[in-house]
Amino acid sequence: MLKGIIAGLLAVAFLSAPAFAADEATMRAAKKEGKVTWYTSITLNIAQDLCNRYNKKKTGVKCIVHRDGSGKLYRRYLQERKGGIYVADVIHTSNLGHFLNLKAKKIITPYKPAGTDNFNEKFVTKDNSWTILRAGVLMPFYNTKKVSEKDAPKTYADFLDPKWKGKIVHSHPSYSGFVTNGMINIVNRFGWDYYKKMAKQKPKIVQSAAGGIPLVARGEAWLGAGTTSYSLLKLMQKGEPLKPVIPPTGLALVTSPNGVFTKAPNPNAARVFTDYLFSREAMQLLADYFLYVGDPGVKYPKGLPALKDINLMAIGGDELKKKNKPTRKMFKKLFGV
Amino acid sequence: MTQDAQQLPGTISGGEPSATKKFDYTIIVWVVLLILLIILVANPIFQLFKESFFVSEDEAGGFTFQNYIDAFETDEYYKPMYITMMLAVSVGSISLVVGAVMAWVVSRTDIPFPNLIRNGILASFVTPPFLGAIAWIFLAGRNEGWLNKWIRGIFQLSDEFYLFDIFTMKGVVFAMSLYTFPLVFIVVLAGLNNISSDVEDAANVAGGGTFNTMFSITLPLVAPSLFAGFILAALEAMILFGIPAVLAIPAGQHTMTTQLRAFMVSEDDLLGLASAYAMPMLILAIGMVWTRGIVLGRRGYATVGGKGGQRRPQKLGVWRLPIFVLCMVPLVCAIVLPSLALLTTSFMKNLGGGLVWSNFTLWNYHFILTNDAVRESIYNTILLAIMAATGATIVAAISAFISQRKLIKGHQYMGFMATAPIGIPGIVLAVGLFAAYTKQPFVLYGTLWIMFLAYLTKYLPLAYQTANAGLTSIHPELEESCRIMGANRLQVFKDVTIPLFKTAVIASWILVFMPSLRELSASVLLWTTNTKVISVVIVDFYEETLLGPISALGVLLLLITLVAIAVGFRVAGRDFMRSAG
Repeated sequence: MLKGIIAGLLAVAFLSAPAFAADEATMRAAKKEGKVTWYTSITLNIAQDLCNRYNKKKTGVKCIVHRDGSGKLYRRYLQERKGGIYVADVIHTSNLGHFLNLKAKKIITPYKPAGTDNFNEKFVTKDNSWTILRAGVLMPFYNTKKVSEKDAPKTYADFLDPKWKGKIVHSHPSYSGFVTNGMINIVNRFGWDYYKKMAKQKPKIVQSAAGGIPLVARGEAWLGAGTTSYSLLKLMQKGEPLKPVIPPTGLALVTSPNGVFTKAPNPNAARVFTDYLFSREAMQLLADYFLYVGDPGVKYPKGLPALKDINLMAIGGDELKKKNKPTRKMFKKLFGV
Repeated sequence: MTQDAQQLPGTISGGEPSATKKFDYTIIVWVVLLILLIILVANPIFQLFKESFFVSEDEAGGFTFQNYIDAFETDEYYKPMYITMMLAVSVGSISLVVGAVMAWVVSRTDIPFPNLIRNGILASFVTPPFLGAIAWIFLAGRNEGWLNKWIRGIFQLSDEFYLFDIFTMKGVVFAMSLYTFPLVFIVVLAGLNNISSDVEDAANVAGGGTFNTMFSITLPLVAPSLFAGFILAALEAMILFGIPAVLAIPAGQHTMTTQLRAFMVSEDDLLGLASAYAMPMLILAIGMVWTRGIVLGRRGYATVGGKGGQRRPQKLGVWRLPIFVLCMVPLVCAIVLPSLALLTTSFMKNLGGGLVWSNFTLWNYHFILTNDAVRESIYNTILLAIMAATGATIVAAISAFISQRKLIKGHQYMGFMATAPIGIPGIVLAVGLFAAYTKQPFVLYGTLWIMFLAYLTKYLPLAYQTANAGLTSIHPELEESCRIMGANRLQVFKDVTIPLFKTAVIASWILVFMPSLRELSASVLLWTTNTKVISVVIVDFYEETLLGPISALGVLLLLITLVAIAVGFRVAGRDFMRSAG
């Protein structure tokens, strides 16, 4: 009984405390909680790798991955909240617009992960509502066995050439925040006309942004309209016959925030785990997976172009929030699913 | 097909004085069953109905017709309904032809290896359809499918040529038919087995040839079974989620089930719209089951018993071998090719690397076995299947026993209650359960219990039919003769009824256990972080197109199913799956 009251007081004290990195007491409390559930939209192999490495440290906190698309994670959390079910502790998706909503409704709580002081300023927020865990670009790509470098598309418009009809794969914005983000950028440049023509190409529709890669790697589709740069570059490193298209118009930059839930069932473990996510070890791991991170001290692998060398297109969270729903609606109208 | 109880002659309980006289247990039984029915069926359907008239935008609320207007006025939502109807009719028809012909061949002709064909069909019956669909991407993908590549290689055709394209509606119809024709086969086979050969012999004697006899005598006699089989297959095509999710969505087509799920996982709260959208499916499904009931009539099929007529096989003559080969085609397509495709892909390092030794890897297996979600899902899957099988079997066995032996007042309605859920498509049931048990005070969402309820409801009719069929075949005369010989009721129950009933109970347990292992359409809406099952993980992986790990997990799921069948054969005898019809 007394224990419960103390724990409760501690929790209240903690929640009202400013967002500081976890200390000794938090570590002990986290150990008591024993687990942390991470709702994440990073591809499963990376999410599981991070978790497995964290679990090997035997901190007493077991990491549980729940991997899904940005949109589905957002809905799932709100749905569970409606029923008074709280499973998730930490959330990480590629939809900044959602994070603005979560912040406005105080569903996420500010937290500044340890060691992020010297991070690239574009990766941290002033009020610590969230921290950008990773960034990537939405990359068009092709299968090198099926398409020669000479024939390969060079611009976004090249994808609309009738010769590619039925040979393109496109990911779904209702599922992938990465794709929603990229689509808004492309619509800003070329208007919806671009996607009206793309729909006429009858692309195969996959869900996840990375979901197009295996189909192109197998040669089942020849071109991918856009995928997560990190998955693509990693698989190229593994020897899949793939190559990116870098259009002069630029590539859409997608930054993916990570935040802590206000009503996390394991509030201390949530903070300890978030610290791990932004630790040098995890940052380096993400860099090795061809992701851009805020930590200036990591070494990037060969084959990953520096962000400053890429012509980038980017939109803010507000624009994403505003255009998110119309984009999904329009996609459904044009592509049928 | 289950209302045959009241027509059985003489039972042992009629008006005899017994221990139950003092206290009327009838009430207890009915109260328990009623509560069960309310939890499992009435409440979810009521909540579904209710939600369909409410605005569900997160915090809003309020009565509205807008959900129905949205669901039926928008072209994008209307089209999936049309597509689903077309699917149901085409898949139903194809299954009908394939299933009925094969049933006739196995039951009535001198085809070689009839048992091989029969067991093969039962094996395709237990193969998870979504796995088959995924495997067929490897086999019949337009550009890289093995079959297309072989044909190109053999006939020296250009890269542009293709014969098959699985990512089309034709592909969906094909894949669905592979896994629905066994339903027709089982029903028609049962029908055929109930007709003695005497009439056919008469036709033969009168000069009708093999095929003539089949068309003018056998066919009309099994017409009710044919119709029932068609309805079953069409219904299955309508409510399948896995195959369209795998093959139709990439082709830019939703069916009603995939559209329903898209509503449920949309960022916007669309529970109301989803509920309204589920209504036509529910009504259609109930309508189809009802029609089937009318056509089959109230006649019961007593399956065991000394039928007078012998069945003499029709001679196929020179057609014997060609017909055998033809019969093997659907089996090879449903089981052999998909298993091979999954097995080889599961060992491939690079998907674009082809079948060479340098491309061999165990990485996919390593990936799934070191993945927490997968490990937990294996545990959850087996646990849920055991729970569902046990729960459904207990309820089914008790209801069937009460109904058959007329133990309580109103026993006639027992069968109806136990088989009522048959008209509720799994995914619709899941939307209902979701609507009913995600809110206070009954929050079951997030636990295995809500999935248990879904499985129990979904498979109770199957368990009941099996248990009931088993009991029907135990003639009360056996029990009565023991009574005449001087045994008391308890002795009879212990020494006669239970041993005879045991096989049916075990069969019904296994028949619920196996489909529970691969249940998808309800699970896909009800799973949460801690309650994943294998089928959901596979669909989850498919959304990331992790074809390698999916193949490895698919091989694992097939192995688990195989073990279950092997155990089933050992424990319940070779014929345990036949009662599935």
